[in-house]
Amino acid sequence: MKLSNKLTFAAAAVMSMTIGGTAIAQQSINDPARDDYYATMKDRKVVFVPVFMGLDLTEGWSKIMANQAEALGYHYEVRNSNFNTAAGAQTITSLISEKPDVIVVQNPDVQSYARLLKRAEDAGIHVIQLNMKTNILTTGFVGADVVAIGEAQARAAVEHCASAEKPGKVLILAGPPTSPFSAYMLRGYENILNDNASMEVVGIQSTGSYESSKAKSITQVVVQQHPDLCATLGVWDAPDIGTAAALDEAGLSDQVFVSTSGGGGELSCRGIREGMWDHYVSYDVPGQGRDLNALISSALQDTNEVGSTKTVLYTPLVEFTADNVDQQDCWTLDSLR
Amino acid sequence: MMKTISRLRYKYWPDQIFGEILQKSWMETAVPLAVLIFTIVFFSTQIENFISPANLSDNFRQASELGFVVLGISLVLIVGGIDLSVASIFALCNLLVLYCMHVWQLPLPASIAITLVFGGLLGAVNGILIGYFRMRAFLTTMVTLIVFKSIHDLINVKVAVPISSNFPDSPMWDTMGYGSILSVPTAVWAFGIVALFCHILLTRLRPGWWLLAVGGNRRSAYNIGLPVNRIVALSYVASGALTSASAIFYAARLASPGADTGVGLEITVLTAAILGGIRLGGGKGSVMKAILGTLIILLLTNGLLRMATSAGTARIILATILLLAAALDIRWFKNRHKAVQEMYVSPAYLKLPEMPDDVAAPNAAFAPNDRLKNVETIGLGMIEAPEDVILDADDNLYSGNRHGEIIRFFAPDYKRHEVYARIGGQPLGMAFDAGYNLYVCVGGMGLYRVTADREVELITDETNRSLLSVIDDSRLKLADDLDILPDGRILFSEATVRYEMHEWQTDALEGRGNGRIILYDPKHKKTTTVLRHLTFPNGIVLGSDGQSILFAESWKCSIKRYWFDGPKKGDVEMVIDNLLGYPDNINVASDGNFWLAIMGMRSQVFDLAMRKPGFRRRMAKQLPGDEWLAPNINTGCIVKFNEAGEILDVLWDMHGENHPMITSMREHKGYLYIGGIYNNRIGRIKLDGADETFVSSGKYHVG
Amino acid sequence: MKKSVNSLKLDQQTIVTGLFLVIFLMFAIFLPGFFTAGNLLVLIRSVSVLGILGLGMAIVVIGRGIDLSMIATLSVPAALVMTLAAAGYHPVVAILAGLAFSIATGIVNGVLVAYAEIPALFTTLAVGIGIAGIGQSGMFEYDIIAWPVELDSIAWIGRGKIFGLPYSILAFAAAALIVHVFLKKTRLGFFIYAIGDNLSAARITGVRARPIIILQYVMSAGIALFAGLVLSASSNSMDTRIFNLTWIYDVILVVVLGGIGLSGGRGGVMNVIIGTILIGTIVNGMTILNVSFQGQNLVRGLILLSALLLDSIVNPRNEETAKQGDI
Repeated sequence: MKLSNKLTFAAAAVMSMTIGGTAIAQQSINDPARDDYYATMKDRKVVFVPVFMGLDLTEGWSKIMANQAEALGYHYEVRNSNFNTAAGAQTITSLISEKPDVIVVQNPDVQSYARLLKRAEDAGIHVIQLNMKTNILTTGFVGADVVAIGEAQARAAVEHCASAEKPGKVLILAGPPTSPFSAYMLRGYENILNDNASMEVVGIQSTGSYESSKAKSITQVVVQQHPDLCATLGVWDAPDIGTAAALDEAGLSDQVFVSTSGGGGELSCRGIREGMWDHYVSYDVPGQGRDLNALISSALQDTNEVGSTKTVLYTPLVEFTADNVDQQDCWTLDSLR
Repeated sequence: MMKTISRLRYKYWPDQIFGEILQKSWMETAVPLAVLIFTIVFFSTQIENFISPANLSDNFRQASELGFVVLGISLVLIVGGIDLSVASIFALCNLLVLYCMHVWQLPLPASIAITLVFGGLLGAVNGILIGYFRMRAFLTTMVTLIVFKSIHDLINVKVAVPISSNFPDSPMWDTMGYGSILSVPTAVWAFGIVALFCHILLTRLRPGWWLLAVGGNRRSAYNIGLPVNRIVALSYVASGALTSASAIFYAARLASPGADTGVGLEITVLTAAILGGIRLGGGKGSVMKAILGTLIILLLTNGLLRMATSAGTARIILATILLLAAALDIRWFKNRHKAVQEMYVSPAYLKLPEMPDDVAAPNAAFAPNDRLKNVETIGLGMIEAPEDVILDADDNLYSGNRHGEIIRFFAPDYKRHEVYARIGGQPLGMAFDAGYNLYVCVGGMGLYRVTADREVELITDETNRSLLSVIDDSRLKLADDLDILPDGRILFSEATVRYEMHEWQTDALEGRGNGRIILYDPKHKKTTTVLRHLTFPNGIVLGSDGQSILFAESWKCSIKRYWFDGPKKGDVEMVIDNLLGYPDNINVASDGNFWLAIMGMRSQVFDLAMRKPGFRRRMAKQLPGDEWLAPNINTGCIVKFNEAGEILDVLWDMHGENHPMITSMREHKGYLYIGGIYNNRIGRIKLDGADETFVSSGKYHVG
Repeated sequence: MKKSVNSLKLDQQTIVTGLFLVIFLMFAIFLPGFFTAGNLLVLIRSVSVLGILGLGMAIVVIGRGIDLSMIATLSVPAALVMTLAAAGYHPVVAILAGLAFSIATGIVNGVLVAYAEIPALFTTLAVGIGIAGIGQSGMFEYDIIAWPVELDSIAWIGRGKIFGLPYSILAFAAAALIVHVFLKKTRLGFFIYAIGDNLSAARITGVRARPIIILQYVMSAGIALFAGLVLSASSNSMDTRIFNLTWIYDVILVVVLGGIGLSGGRGGVMNVIIGTILIGTIVNGMTILNVSFQGQNLVRGLILLSALLLDSIVNPRNEETAKQGDI
């Protein structure tokens, strides 16, 4: 700083003290990390490859990622594979030759993309996996510990049913039979229920591709056979709307304890408040979104060889019940920032 | 001024090409090809690096994988079936080959062989049910789709983990998945070879024709004794095996035992096949169409994915393009033949010299007479369509007929006759060589020889293909007349390359230089075209110098002379430019002059029409063929002329009593024998003062 | 003599009925809890939506077409009705809008099949993709739409009971009756049979085939909307992703199993009911047995396959009279 500048600075300081906040900028200093930070982010490219869009989970994550991209000035893009694993694989294949900086990928299962993700990292692209892991670890993983969700649901069911004198009958409504998400969840149920002699599993049925109508008809059949059903455990909230509808029609809403899980959006709170569900394990989409954004920005700043650090962030789980539902976030797309 | 422009336009603008292009069988694939080109152009403007080597290689690799399945389903569609179960066969084969490689660690060839056989067996389940039990293809494969899929789901849960926790150590396997040979992906090589084989199968081999026959008309195929059940069953086996080949490459690329492998594949491949122009219901389809369809669907879906189009928009665009392409293709398929019919005939401008005034005056060159009135008839009612007549050394009379035979009438009274040779196409011009082998131009077939031992042999049926011709002019369509040259070569005329023999009237209406003169050289067994763009070249006869021929150009009503040898080699000169009718065959007369058959008379109306190509074009488009103007061929005559072009003599049958329709005549030992293609007799008339030893043919050896 | 031959004739309908009776009796005897009034009602209720869709498909198949877009026209217009109602429009307005949407879809299908002459299989496939695409392009906030309270006035079509009979069964019965009367008692229904049996012959006798083909697709789209409302009222939500599922194959099977040939001109409502109940019985029994989802699919597929096989052995196709182009 030259002398004249110093003088001006001093004068300005005096001025600002006298006039107040209007010229406060003159007093500021530059954050040395800041320019670099923004320059690093500028014009980089992040691509999100979800299994689907149009459901609260992915729309929520995407909104949060898009918000950060806009704030930091990098490009963000969604390539929707729309429930088609082959299309997703095609997308990743062409991304490998397009070379974006970061790919955020929601895996449909543990194996399908494994090989491609490894090739992507070898090609110098950071890969962050979201909510579903493959069997190889990449730059980052953000998601729920699915086994823990299952254990939490099962524990709640045991708590509810253990008070009954005879064994508590439980119906399990799983997802697609080959989906690891559903399979991990079943493992969680098993971990708890197998240790509890007082619980009896009367059915493990798949709702196909999470169809609420199928959940409804399965529940109707089972309730016919077991009018003394005590609890249902569902892997996802969407089909369990049908489960609740079946119980409502059979007049068993009060008797049967319905536990489900999901991203904790407005539907979850409504479901609890309206009495569709009694217990809901949320993996907190806004929280996952923040984790995701943190991993993205650290990947963009990473100057080491791709894949030299690998971070796993399991989401803390939140259990919603009728008692605590009013304290919950119950996010909507509009409330996400 | 306008007339000149119109004249130039009809003279130089290649009208005929449009019809000819449209007629090509590969034009059936025009719509898919256009859609493909449009797709490529669109995406390459929208997406940077769309045509980069990396992206192309990705796309072609995936297209090849998909292409195997599309080929399979195309074979089934061609036979008239459908195979929805490919999606589940694909999933099962993917699982099997991965299990072989990852868990059992089998060598690559064994894994591939096992998987291919397994795919074929799954296909055979469909094949037996549909081929032998004759179940409905759509329902059966829909149910096997569900059954195979649930088997897959049951197994998948158990084998997915072992598969994804082992990795085979096989560089070959990796090469199959994402390697290249000569910078072309491995899958593309494999698909290229298989596609080429399928193409040859469908177009060149008998089993392929059987497929098309069963698909085209199952009942007829059954009635001609084809093993319909087996053919149908085998098509499903092929579909299963091809699907497993696709699954092998998919497995090598992704190594993924994913649960939803192949879901919706049946829809994708069916869409590809239909987009390529393969029709539901059977009998139509080609490998090219399958490939085009595959490329369209793949580039489309990949392009939309790459543009990061939202799923909804992508589906709307996809649906719109599918419907538009299908609608266009179906319209095209339905209307192409109509369009060809309308566009193929493309009249040219042809101005004939004014007919001489007073043609009927007693002292005019062509003054009518009745000298043919008393012609003797030979074989009346026993021969149909004797276009040309010829006699051998023993005076036996030969003539072709409509049934594709050569008939011999025995000398001396020509009451008896026999079938001398069966050829199969209508014999036109004929000539004997010195060994009395008969050389015959056969309409639609080419140049043939009937040896003295009555063996029928093909001499030539193709010539060199001209570079710029759209239609394939290497095949001889209408060889018309010939003569044997002193050096043993043969010159013959081909009247038109654009029409079949029975369509000669359409060629007359067109009045374009569609014909040519072709030289056959027996020493080198080579056939070359020597003169092109002749307007219906017809009769040919050797000139007196032995170095030239005289030939007739029918629709130009003229005789020209062409030197094939000597100092004037290659020259063409006009001999007569203004005949009264359409000249046909020419033959030598005993006095060194030439006989010329006039097959029909010119008329002012037709001459005028030839100067009005627009009028004829409208006529050809708007009227059915039998209402078109046609040259008159009911009345003809025989003319004697010399090489200077002077008319020396004319013979008429004014009242049409014995021999009005004439296409040829031949002088033999003082008689003139007369043939006519629309006649049911051969005529003979005594020539006064002619050389009674004169024989017109059989002078030179061929070879 | 002729009568006795007729009475012995084993057509597909008889075979499937027999198969149904065998399976039903087996379950009733060996499966406790199967043959109770409550369970039988659940059985029919679980397939009533499938049955309603089957009725719509039957109309098209009898006219020698096929409508693969039904699942898309089931979900998207119904979701539209729900979204509009939730946005504050009067339920009647919402339903009319949904109806207009589905009729438009039917017309598009019909025009493309009848006038552009694109094969029905391909047309309806592509239109289905397009409709699903429209549903995914911003019309709805999420792919799964919850039943809005504003529509509770008509929620009874999928929920609740009257005299112990669930309304969704009554909805199926009512739809069956209407379609039956349409097909068998009206001139238009008769024309549909004529067109399905022999299109050219129908045309020669003066039937205006093309408008009637359009009518077929409009009817199937309308019925799909009805099924969609019953479905979403019943399960309290509409999942517009069901387009991705293999539901449509179930619908076709229900129709064809009962004996409505894909080559057109044959069958009626009774066939749909038999096919529907057969599938319902199999699924219900196996759910009680706690057979896994994949196992159910496998068993169901094998039973269907044997029904088709049996039919084709008892009534083999005749090479001489088979129609060209049937698949």
